[in-house]
Amino acid sequence: MANENEKLSVWTSISFWRRSAAWVTGFAVILLIWLTFNTMGQISMGTDADLKKAAQEHRVVSRVPGPTVINYHIDYKMSKKRGHEVPVIGAKEPFFGKEWSEKEAAALLHLGKLTSQAKNCMNCHTLLGNGAYYAPDLTKAWLDPAWQKGGPMQAMTNTNTTEEAMAKFLQNPSQYPTHARMMPNLGITEEEAKGLVAFLKHMSSIDTNGFPRNFSKTVEQFKTGGTNAH
Amino acid sequence: MFEQFTDVVPSFFGYLNQGPLTLTIFLHTVIILPMIWIYFDEKKKLKNGK
Repeated sequence: MANENEKLSVWTSISFWRRSAAWVTGFAVILLIWLTFNTMGQISMGTDADLKKAAQEHRVVSRVPGPTVINYHIDYKMSKKRGHEVPVIGAKEPFFGKEWSEKEAAALLHLGKLTSQAKNCMNCHTLLGNGAYYAPDLTKAWLDPAWQKGGPMQAMTNTNTTEEAMAKFLQNPSQYPTHARMMPNLGITEEEAKGLVAFLKHMSSIDTNGFPRNFSKTVEQFKTGGTNAH
Repeated sequence: MFEQFTDVVPSFFGYLNQGPLTLTIFLHTVIILPMIWIYFDEKKKLKNGK
């Protein structure tokens, strides 16, 4: 009996392992190709029409909104359903005192992206999970109350809006020291600073499934007199 | 075990990623079950061939 079983051992049969390996490898290849194309769709920018819908329904329609998102107020609210904070696109608000057309917004965002690469922001900061933690995470920096009305950054830069405060700071960071590590002066021009702020505002509107974690906790902490410095 | 779909943009991979068991069940279905079938198929072949 034992002898017969040995003859019939499937576990020592090469063709069993060959077929299994072929199946697993083949299936994984198909799944990964599918996943790649699925991801491309998930990370593509939405359109202006998506944004209008999002603003009406107070929710994010596409994970990465179109460039014209800079014309809207962006909030970050806890979603009970999803168990983390989600960006909420609200009413329209002027960005640097005007409403940007689709073309203008795209060009500004592109300039901001190029500047962020040219000035190597990621060498110290983190953007969407990429970069360093020497300086604060910039993924949701636009929503940081320090830059908003009543926050210290607007008072320090003598400005009235978040975008102006950020743009002024970026052009001359070493002039506005905070309790955190001082950012060096990178020779960012006025136009480049505008682009960077648009880039940051757009980034804060991306649905990152709650990353970075507990951001609104530090916001609450900040409001009660704590600090957002890392 | 099966939770409400909460991702922003619904997708097949979103469903697979809803809980710790969903991906496991899926991978067992598509990898282990065919291997069990391959096992018995090979056993039959060995029995018939030798």
